[in-house]
Amino acid sequence: MSEMIKDNNREPQENLALDDGRRVKVLSPGMMVFKRFIRNRLAIVGICILIFMFLFSFLGGVISPYRQDQVFYKVDSANKEYAGAVVNTDYRFATVDGSPLSTMVRATFNSQVKGKPEESVTFTADGATYTAKKVDDGFWLITAGQDLGKVALLGKIVDVKAAEGKEISPALKEAAAAAAAAGQTAFELEGDAYTLTRDVGKSYRLSGMSEIALASLLNFDAPDPARAGLAADYTFRRNCETAMHRGEKAFEAGGETYTLNAVSENDAEVLDRSGAPVARVSNIIVNPVTSGVLLPPAYREAVTDAIANHQTAFEYVNPEGVTEKHTIQMRGNTYIISTVQQTYLIDMYAAPGPDHPLGTDDHGMDVLTRLMYGGRISLMVGFIVMILENIIGIIIGGVSGYFGGWVDTLLMRFVDLFNSIPYYPMMIIAGAIMDSFEVDPYLRLYMMMAIMGIMGWTGVARVVRGQILSLREQDFMVATEATGIRVSRRIFRHLVPNVMPLLIVQATMGLGSIILTEATLSFLGLGIKYPLASWGSIINSSSNIYVMTNCWYLWIPAGLLIVLTVLGFNFVGDGLRDAFDPRMKR
Amino acid sequence: MSETSANVLEVRNLCKYFPIKAGLFSHVVGQVHAVENVSFTLKRGTTMGLVGESGCGKTTIGKTLLNLTPKTSGEVIFNGSVHLDQLSARELRAFRPKIQIIFQDPYASLSPRLPVGEIIGEAVREHHIVPDGELNAYVSRIMKSCGLFDYQKDRYPHEFSGGQRQRICIARAIALNPDFIVCDEPVSALDVSIQAQIINLLEDLQKEFNLTYLFISHDLSVVQHISDTVGVMYLGNMVEYADKKEIFARPLHPYTRALFSAIPVPDPTVKMNRIILEGSIPSPANPPSGCKFHTRCRECRGVCAQKAPKPVDMGGGHTVACHMYDPESGYAQEKN
Repeated sequence: MSEMIKDNNREPQENLALDDGRRVKVLSPGMMVFKRFIRNRLAIVGICILIFMFLFSFLGGVISPYRQDQVFYKVDSANKEYAGAVVNTDYRFATVDGSPLSTMVRATFNSQVKGKPEESVTFTADGATYTAKKVDDGFWLITAGQDLGKVALLGKIVDVKAAEGKEISPALKEAAAAAAAAGQTAFELEGDAYTLTRDVGKSYRLSGMSEIALASLLNFDAPDPARAGLAADYTFRRNCETAMHRGEKAFEAGGETYTLNAVSENDAEVLDRSGAPVARVSNIIVNPVTSGVLLPPAYREAVTDAIANHQTAFEYVNPEGVTEKHTIQMRGNTYIISTVQQTYLIDMYAAPGPDHPLGTDDHGMDVLTRLMYGGRISLMVGFIVMILENIIGIIIGGVSGYFGGWVDTLLMRFVDLFNSIPYYPMMIIAGAIMDSFEVDPYLRLYMMMAIMGIMGWTGVARVVRGQILSLREQDFMVATEATGIRVSRRIFRHLVPNVMPLLIVQATMGLGSIILTEATLSFLGLGIKYPLASWGSIINSSSNIYVMTNCWYLWIPAGLLIVLTVLGFNFVGDGLRDAFDPRMKR
Repeated sequence: MSETSANVLEVRNLCKYFPIKAGLFSHVVGQVHAVENVSFTLKRGTTMGLVGESGCGKTTIGKTLLNLTPKTSGEVIFNGSVHLDQLSARELRAFRPKIQIIFQDPYASLSPRLPVGEIIGEAVREHHIVPDGELNAYVSRIMKSCGLFDYQKDRYPHEFSGGQRQRICIARAIALNPDFIVCDEPVSALDVSIQAQIINLLEDLQKEFNLTYLFISHDLSVVQHISDTVGVMYLGNMVEYADKKEIFARPLHPYTRALFSAIPVPDPTVKMNRIILEGSIPSPANPPSGCKFHTRCRECRGVCAQKAPKPVDMGGGHTVACHMYDPESGYAQEKN
């Protein structure tokens, strides 16, 4: 009986016990690590975060319809100064023959006329005598002594011949003939003085003060460009102004009759016989604020109308048929005309919307797109710097730990030396140097990665060295020597696999801190520069209080991405450490 | 290399000093006399027990014998002719399988990243002990003979208990087909029931493979059980060396007597006559003059503090290093 019980008890032990290893499927070491890793919930969260970050950064940039440095504009209306108008105080001159009046004459006229209430002023300029006769305030006719023609006495017949290009009125002809017959050398007609100078025999030269130019404060504008010549025509101007100043409603010029439609004292519209506007006469001059803009006569007319009517605002239908609202402001003796205009502006700090899910930044770039491209840089910097640090660190730490002795002492003092270089001041100096040389942003990126790698390997070297040093003394390493296993195998089969997990964990954890460092540097403006983006430099763009408080979409997403990525790397690092540790139970 | 040599190991005047370094430039300020003038001979197929207090140099002897730490002076001769320190690195590596070691701590002596089959088979493959095709079967066989199961080959050391790990360590040593194994306190980290299993395993293997053991232990009952000869160490010196039966029946050296008096007797009627040693073991860096034991010896006389005792052959291979048994030392003439 007792034998049977014994047998019953023994049997399962010999075949399959409850805890028999044959019941358990043996997994390869890699699978074991993987299995332990995927059972770690935090690590899965971490890996999900990282996968998201990678997709977001590397795929996002491809999917995003915008380029990373694409600047967006918006159409906005702004009240802009459009034109200025002044009441003209400078005389404008027009000559009979259309040739410009000499500067000297104009200057002398201006100085003689200014402030003089006289009806007539005589002055000399350029060796000739001029007489300016005031027709009304602001309208003068300038006359000069000129050869008018010849008067020949042939017995009783007096022949008056006009000089070329001159006209002698019948009244003057009569007066000249009478004067010549009477043997006078001077006579007067209608207030004008004429002289007769004996030329040859009974022939006299008739000279008189004839009108050569007009000076006026009024400005002529032709609404119809086809008839612009008319406004420049001397007779037209002279007659028009004369009529205006005399308060007449019509005048004649060039055989046509024009009607004057007075708006105010110094402002009138000239209509032709059919009632079509021919010219606008006004003492108001309208000029565009920006050069190169041609103000259409209709606009000038509208401005002149508004000013004449003492309006502060008016409407104008522009050639495209759009009604524009303009306001008039008096500033000094100038009227400033402003209007609301449509302009292209950089779309800065735009709030999130359908076009820009996270708005735009201070350069008018799409924040979401910048975040995607910035993620590429941030992750790339993280990985490259990590690889760089590990290559240097593993070589130096490995050599130091494996060989020990003076090599170890020397290398570790070298590590101490590197550790005592202040990191941030160094980076700030490097950043400043690159700033002053205006280094290309890409080159700057590579330089920064190189510097970060060179400055950061010491930690890895210490860890590797310490680990190898302690492993070297372990019994299992002594056992490899006792069993006569060759050195290369000892290093690669026994040392390295035992250092590897720690290194992988360290590197993963280190990635987070490298990304943080890069973000810090970029935030301080020492790292990644425009047009490249990194998460840190995106936060940097919101470094003033207004943006900080009003444009949350500029810095919160970038900050969140940094936090999540670093957290993800740390979770994965933790998970890897637990998974690699074989002492962790399944 | 004479495989048939009766003596697997001859040790003559083996010394191992560790330099004490101090100061800024690590200059040597003294020596730790870990092993001093140790001589003994091991016959093939026998087990020598090496006992002594902690820190008396037992483990150092084990490692120095295998040239895992280089010796300071003396000779270690394997199989009658092989001097490890005279071999080139390549020859040494080729000779390594012949001499193996089992460590005290089964947890630290197995690489945590390798499966058991690999740990056992790695060196076998390295030294081409069996053709590559037969490696797997060979490892299985070795594992079986060490009380391990075939399916455990793919397991990692952390999945095993201490006793199983020690079996793995033994399997690793056995697999190389060695002549000589240093068992460096192989059972001291294990609980008593497992100790017995391991001791029995070692004995079985010794019979199966005609192995020679140097069994280092501070556990006298284990040594009494397994050894053929016993050496007693005190502060780097071997103070007594004899056959097991001889030494347990007739311990001569005062230290051996004190040590053996501490073996518990499983009989409540027998009155324990323990010799309690006073004071603690002196520093091996600054050992006492003359006989190193004289500071704690009851039989100490003037000569003991002045002269180091020579080993005296008491007949039947029983040697003892004590002035008491040396008629030339002048011990007898002195008054106690």
